[in-house]
Amino acid sequence: MDVSRDPNLIPGRIEDSDSELELYTIPSSSRWFTWDEIHETEKTAFKEYFDGTSISRTPKIYKEYRDFIINKYREEPSRRLTFTEVRKSLVGDVTFLYKVFLFLESWGLINYGAPSGGDGGVAEKEHEEERCKLKVEEGAPNGIRVVATPNSLKPISLPRNTKSAGNNVGGVAIKMPPLASYSDVYGDLISGKEFSCRNCGDKCGSGYYRSAKDNFIICTKCFENGNYGEKRSMEEFKLNESSEISAKHGTVWTEGETLLLLESVLKHGDDWELVARSVQTKTKLDCISKLIELPFGELMLASANRNGNSKNVTGIMNNGKQVQSSTSNHQETSTTQDQSSEPKNENQQNGDVVQESPPKRQRVAALSDSSSSLMKQVGLLSTVIDPHITAAAADAAITALCDENSFPRDIFDVEEDNACSAKSLISCSARALEGEGSEMVERSTHPEIDVGCPKDDIPLTLRVRAAIGTALGATAARAKLLADQEEREIEHLVATIIEAQIEKLQQKVKHFDELELLMEKEHAEMEELKDSILTERIDVLRETFRSGITRWKDYPCAKS
Amino acid sequence: MKTPVSGFYKNPVKFRMPTSENLVPLRLDIEIDGHRYKDAFTWNPSDPDSEVVVFAKRTVKDLKLPPPFVTQIAQSIQSQLAEFRSYDGQDMYAGEKIVPIKLDLRVNHTLVKDQFLWDLNNFDSDPEEFARTFCKDMGIEDPEVGPAIAFAIREQLYEIAIQSVVSARESRLSKKGRRGADFTPVSKGGAVAVDLVKLFGIKSSVVRKRKEWDVYEPIVDLLSNEEVDVLEAKEEKNFRGSISNNI
Repeated sequence: MDVSRDPNLIPGRIEDSDSELELYTIPSSSRWFTWDEIHETEKTAFKEYFDGTSISRTPKIYKEYRDFIINKYREEPSRRLTFTEVRKSLVGDVTFLYKVFLFLESWGLINYGAPSGGDGGVAEKEHEEERCKLKVEEGAPNGIRVVATPNSLKPISLPRNTKSAGNNVGGVAIKMPPLASYSDVYGDLISGKEFSCRNCGDKCGSGYYRSAKDNFIICTKCFENGNYGEKRSMEEFKLNESSEISAKHGTVWTEGETLLLLESVLKHGDDWELVARSVQTKTKLDCISKLIELPFGELMLASANRNGNSKNVTGIMNNGKQVQSSTSNHQETSTTQDQSSEPKNENQQNGDVVQESPPKRQRVAALSDSSSSLMKQVGLLSTVIDPHITAAAADAAITALCDENSFPRDIFDVEEDNACSAKSLISCSARALEGEGSEMVERSTHPEIDVGCPKDDIPLTLRVRAAIGTALGATAARAKLLADQEEREIEHLVATIIEAQIEKLQQKVKHFDELELLMEKEHAEMEELKDSILTERIDVLRETFRSGITRWKDYPCAKS
Repeated sequence: MKTPVSGFYKNPVKFRMPTSENLVPLRLDIEIDGHRYKDAFTWNPSDPDSEVVVFAKRTVKDLKLPPPFVTQIAQSIQSQLAEFRSYDGQDMYAGEKIVPIKLDLRVNHTLVKDQFLWDLNNFDSDPEEFARTFCKDMGIEDPEVGPAIAFAIREQLYEIAIQSVVSARESRLSKKGRRGADFTPVSKGGAVAVDLVKLFGIKSSVVRKRKEWDVYEPIVDLLSNEEVDVLEAKEEKNFRGSISNNI
């Protein structure tokens, strides 16, 4: 029984009328069906039609019934065919016609996927009864199954192509709502940017009108010109002021705007009204989404909130900047010289902190032209975590930079002597981290006073790159820290659990001990009882002997 | 080709309701002291007869009828059952027999007109199930319609069965002649079995011609209150008339 021979039976209904063959969905379990032949299943179900005993019951008549009913259904597959409708066109015993009808329905050859006509429960019951009577060997189509390909013997359990067709469960047609696909639900979002006018084909950049009837989309231009497309009226259309307009605008952030945003966020915290006002070119919403988009936006916001007063924040920022730039110098020494030189540096910086800081400060000042906000960020990041870690991160960043290009090495070499000041600033920020807010502000402003002769050797871009590297490293370190903390936490918790379990076990053991004791006691009691019973028995026996009852009667008892 | 009549069908079927369930249609129409009790239902003749009185008592109590109805109802049921049983064990018909069943009945506000074929040899047939399907397909909501349709079918089948027994007896009396498979057309207005060869022969198609579809299409009408009143008055008049005629 090869279904592929029958073009009408290739599973998967295609709604398009332009397809050459009309396709119908039938359950995979009914693959045996062909127009040309009568299958064993049918012969088993309608035995009397195939034993040649009757004039009104011949295979030919059966086939005529069958073909007519199926064809009738297929005239309008979306409608449920009823038996009463069929029988007026067929000559024959209604009982038998009904049997054929139910047979075809239960195999899904008709009414498959058609909306259930009324009471499903009754239909189910009738169907069950009918099935019993028919003695169909295989069950009715169980569940939703559709043939994968015409020749495939294996049904796929969840056909993708029946999405739009109804699903037939257990032979009773239940119209399921079409499954919503990802593109159904998110279609607007996905293709939002590329809606194109069905009229002129242009992209509907600035919003579009959508027909309420059939989602026909035209662009605003066409709408205004009155080109609604065929058979559509103006009332049908609803304007979809595409939210992408603003979003699109918003996505284009110039560097300057971003910096402005970051600065104002630091200044105003999450007072978005103010932030938006200072950014000017962007709306409040844009500002928020942009900040969230930034990799460290949230962190920044959080710290801004934490510190509450904006002055304090800038203090940290300054600190951070210094830390950053100074650490870069410091790393430079450790990379160009070897590892052993580090302690020496450390010693050095302990000495002349104050002396060395002025150039640092000055450099920071120089930096704060265009990239100052970025530097602030980096600085903030650095202060968030342990200064040593920041240093290490900066170290790594600069090493990478140096490997990339020998030129920066030279530049950093020049700065070598400034390196020692780094540690002092790191300690500054460390203190800031410890929460000594006000003191920190003092300290950070202090170097600013000392700003002296500009010594702007290192190119800005390099510094920025170094800063970025540091920031990334710092973030990574922070993450590591957090992870470590989590791990410790987990370990601790696990330990607690294990302890609890052990305690539980101990309790149990104790309990068992008690039970054992009880058992022993009971055992002893039992023994005692046994003894007493035995003695009693002996007494009784003795008593009976004495009274002269013959011995043989007692034998079985005594033995048992 | 097969022989039209094979061994199985040569043996006449013993009398019974030609349906899967051997249920006898009973009709009651009793009037005592101005109370009229009219009912129609089916009865399983193999049920013990004690059930009849129980049923009668129960009905009288439920419908708050005067006590004399009990005996009347029981009597009526008994006599109808007795009539049914009198045919027991007799040959009914031999061979294939497909009869047209015509429905033309009114239940409350619903008017049903329909005709279809019924195979008397198909003991899988189930008028109740058929009526249920009919009501479902036609969207009939009145719960009394289904049972009424089933009852009407049973009544006609019962009538045909009785006629078959009678004609079988007659044909036995007139002895041989005719092929065993054939049936004697029943004279008295009853259902005449369809010509199987004509309908199911090789040349004909079991699919009716399109123009015939309307003829065989079931008709369901919902009557207005006025129409029902008129019809009921007419029925009442007929009933009274028949009673006076009988007397």
